[in-house]
Amino acid sequence: MVRFKSRYLLCELCVSERNSLQLLEERVIYHAVRAAVNRAHGDYGSAVCNIGFSVKYVNAHTGVVLLRCRKGHYRLIWSALPFITGIESRGQRVQCFLNCLHVGGTIRTCQKFLVRYSTRQLHRMLLHCTSEAERREVRKAVMSFSLKKRREDGEEEEEEEEEDDGCGAGVDT
Amino acid sequence: MSVFMDLNISYTTDRKRLQAMIETAAHLGYSTVAINYTVEFQQKKQEIPRPKSVTELFEKLPIVQGKSSPIKVVNRLTVVTADAAHFRPTAEYKSFDLVAVYPKTEKLFHTACMTFDVDIICIATTEKQPFHFKRSPVNGAIERGVFFEICYTPAIRDSTMRKYTIANALCLMEICKGKNVILSSAAEKVLELRGPYDIANLGLVFGLSEGDAKAAVSTNCRSVLLHGETRTTAFGIIHTVKKVQPTTKQTDEAEAPASKKTKTENI
Repeated sequence: MVRFKSRYLLCELCVSERNSLQLLEERVIYHAVRAAVNRAHGDYGSAVCNIGFSVKYVNAHTGVVLLRCRKGHYRLIWSALPFITGIESRGQRVQCFLNCLHVGGTIRTCQKFLVRYSTRQLHRMLLHCTSEAERREVRKAVMSFSLKKRREDGEEEEEEEEEDDGCGAGVDT
Repeated sequence: MSVFMDLNISYTTDRKRLQAMIETAAHLGYSTVAINYTVEFQQKKQEIPRPKSVTELFEKLPIVQGKSSPIKVVNRLTVVTADAAHFRPTAEYKSFDLVAVYPKTEKLFHTACMTFDVDIICIATTEKQPFHFKRSPVNGAIERGVFFEICYTPAIRDSTMRKYTIANALCLMEICKGKNVILSSAAEKVLELRGPYDIANLGLVFGLSEGDAKAAVSTNCRSVLLHGETRTTAFGIIHTVKKVQPTTKQTDEAEAPASKKTKTENI
């Protein structure tokens, strides 16, 4: 038996205000993507979405979303993603857009990429720090965040922990 | 590693919004953006705007995603023409890095492809193309190194516009076979920008092949920039470098022949 091959689209949700990221849920993303594919590709698109399409992971803090679809149809689904202009969540409409970061064959490669990407984001943000004290403050904030997460719920999703670890390492260098 | 460019970001008088757009473009991974000034000669006495210098906008340019260099910002002028008299290459055009033309009629499209001294020819995305593309002007434009531009923002905004954009793009691809096409945003808001990889994939919808779609956001844009540079030089050979600080007239005159001489000697 040969397994069904999939493609994973690692996307970043960009919003104008970061607070509205808290409204993110898997169900919301799922419906937004399905609606966009339906609008762009009609009944055929909907049918393609019915097989093997799912939202694997949503991070409400960083806005990272992992979509899974069949290898044969990922380009079709991907081509509909630019047409998403907003998501509807808990009665609120949030203007946003999806930016695809990485396309991988396994969740593992996507996770590895995400760790690298998050580290790079931190490096970019550290450039905005003006003084050494501020830099230290940011480092402290990042470290405390990851530790707290681990204490609160020890079996937090691996990806999140990994990401935080990556960030921490980024500060040390 | 390819370098992505977005050669159309609409100019707004709102400075904050323009800054936010350029910052977002840097975050998405574009290493060059062009601020677009549009001139329409429908109204009488339209003045050609002066391009704002980049240093006015930013004190420190944002760093490009995945690179260590800051984003490069250039200026671009789009002339909307309905009559051949509207396009007059004056000294004012020279102050822009890129010049684009948006022809409204078939005759103008023909002259734009064959004779106008421009870098980009815009294709209608908000309405049905009022004429068919002919093989001879398109081939002429490709030979001259002029590029065709398709903007994707109208397609994102509205369903009917999307139909027009895709139809016009497919019409063009039938003739030019994916050569000399660039994809750009024409964004007016921050949330109308899209990532370069998304746009490269969107090119498949517009009838481009995989390689051509990627070239449309990277290498073709580079060719446009280089073409824009040759427009300001003599025969694309002699190149004079702009001085950062304004110097007096006397020194300019004294140095101009010297620099020319050294350049030609090198060649």
